[in-house]
Amino acid sequence: MFSLKGVRHRYGAREVLRLERFVAAQGEKWLVLGPSGSGKSTLLHILAGLLRPSDGSVEVARPIGIVPQKLHLISSLDVEDNLLLAQYMAGAKQEPARAAQVLAGVGLADRAHSRPHQLSHGQAQRVAVARAVMNRPKLLIADEPTSNLDDAHCAAALDLLEAQAAECGATLVVATHDARAKPRFTNRLELG
Amino acid sequence: MNLPGISLAYLRAKPLATALNLLLLALGIATITVLMLATQQIEERMGRDARGIDMVAGAKGSPMQLVLAAVFHLDAPAGNIPLADAMELARHRLVKRAIPMALGDSYRSFRIVGTNHDYVAHYGARLAAGSLWTKAMEAVLGAEAARATGLRVGAKFAGAHGLGEGGEEHEEEPYRVVGVLAPTGTVIDRIVLTSVESVWEVHEHGKPAGGPRELTALLVQYASPLAAATLPRAVNAGTLQAASPAYESARLFRMLGVGVEVLRAFGVVLVLAAGLSVFIALTNALEERRYDLAVMRMLGASRAKLMGLLLIEGLALSVAGALLGLAFGHILMEVLGAALRAAQQVPVTGWSWVAGELWLLLLALGVGALAALLPAWRASRTEVAPVLAEG
Repeated sequence: MFSLKGVRHRYGAREVLRLERFVAAQGEKWLVLGPSGSGKSTLLHILAGLLRPSDGSVEVARPIGIVPQKLHLISSLDVEDNLLLAQYMAGAKQEPARAAQVLAGVGLADRAHSRPHQLSHGQAQRVAVARAVMNRPKLLIADEPTSNLDDAHCAAALDLLEAQAAECGATLVVATHDARAKPRFTNRLELG
Repeated sequence: MNLPGISLAYLRAKPLATALNLLLLALGIATITVLMLATQQIEERMGRDARGIDMVAGAKGSPMQLVLAAVFHLDAPAGNIPLADAMELARHRLVKRAIPMALGDSYRSFRIVGTNHDYVAHYGARLAAGSLWTKAMEAVLGAEAARATGLRVGAKFAGAHGLGEGGEEHEEEPYRVVGVLAPTGTVIDRIVLTSVESVWEVHEHGKPAGGPRELTALLVQYASPLAAATLPRAVNAGTLQAASPAYESARLFRMLGVGVEVLRAFGVVLVLAAGLSVFIALTNALEERRYDLAVMRMLGASRAKLMGLLLIEGLALSVAGALLGLAFGHILMEVLGAALRAAQQVPVTGWSWVAGELWLLLLALGVGALAALLPAWRASRTEVAPVLAEG
């Protein structure tokens, strides 16, 4: 769950986000819609604790899992180490068994020792999702997970996020400008 | 998964850059290591060789040449001195002990030194086999000379004229080996000893001497410290030349010291260049890894962890480079030592350690840490949101 109240964010004099109230219960699925520059990424970064808002209050249940738009897997580490990195950097106990379980959950059990450059975009995206759920997050955030994907892959990406969020019991927040995601979410926040 | 593991993964991902940085650092450390090993061993060795010899008296000429020829057996003597003058000096009240030296011949580049048993006693040499010489044309071999020539007690050999290979052999006056000395770690290991009378006999070819007999030098031990002030002056005023091994050794090291210091400075420049190279590599890595660092922050990494990541990378490079350099240095020293041993020069070895090597390791660590400090600090300041937003 999370709760944002009276949140404003400015870059210099330019206000990029104004949100009176945005509250989600545990396990809910939310879609944040809006064109480029509408403040979607700023909102996600505030939710993820990567950015402190200029004004307002933020309460978010932790831990948080994030799937960035460009995925950003660490190219010098293999898939399993990319997953364990999430636990190590968060100061959590490293669980190779959990990594194997999560990889199996995203259909990549046989790619644990592949390097990111050896994966297709779809596989890399699944690894990024797996990394985001390694710490059993209470909030799972995905930034533009369907950009540049055809309809079939778009559906597969959203299926995966929903399934992983459900397995962790996490609140899911997907930010996109892609209207194809709209029918799957009853909770929607439109920015801009 | 830990910080060293991640740092090593980054280093492995760039094998060429990593190898070049390691090589640069290793070359610098190896250069300094060789100089440290060589100077320490040569100084130690020359100190052992000259210990207890206060003065060398020989023919007029260069005092350094006299010391190099009569004490260290590295140079040719300038000439000989009349036996009568040498004996007069040996009887001087300020002389406690005088050891005669007669040079001129060699066997397979090992010098044949005509002397008395005091010379053996002076270096504390013990017999490994046989006995010391008791009459002319009997020879005792130093440990290294025996090993290299393969001569054993009872073997006969002919000395050759001159102190290098290729001299005319004195086949009519062969020596007979009566003893072999145990290793002492001093100059006596590399020479063949005999009586002064043997040297005279070889050169007189069994005929009576045509003129007054000669020695090459006299190794003198003072009876009193006061002798240092007066005896050399008195000797130099006469027909002989006095030289102090301690003073001439120090002078030699001062002369060599300039070259050693230049090489040492070159080594330090290489180490500093390696530090700069590590700094450049890590600074470039910062730019290449800004997304990685942002992701790590996103995953919850503390600023200290990101700083540690880069610091460990710099330190890992410097430790590996230093260890590689030390290994190179010792191997190079051993190769050099083998060449010098083959040429019967001052023996040095790569299988010895000096305390200064620990300082070298610390120097490399310091350079690595210093080179990594600024990139590490910048890594710790990585702001996640702007980097991910531009992604």
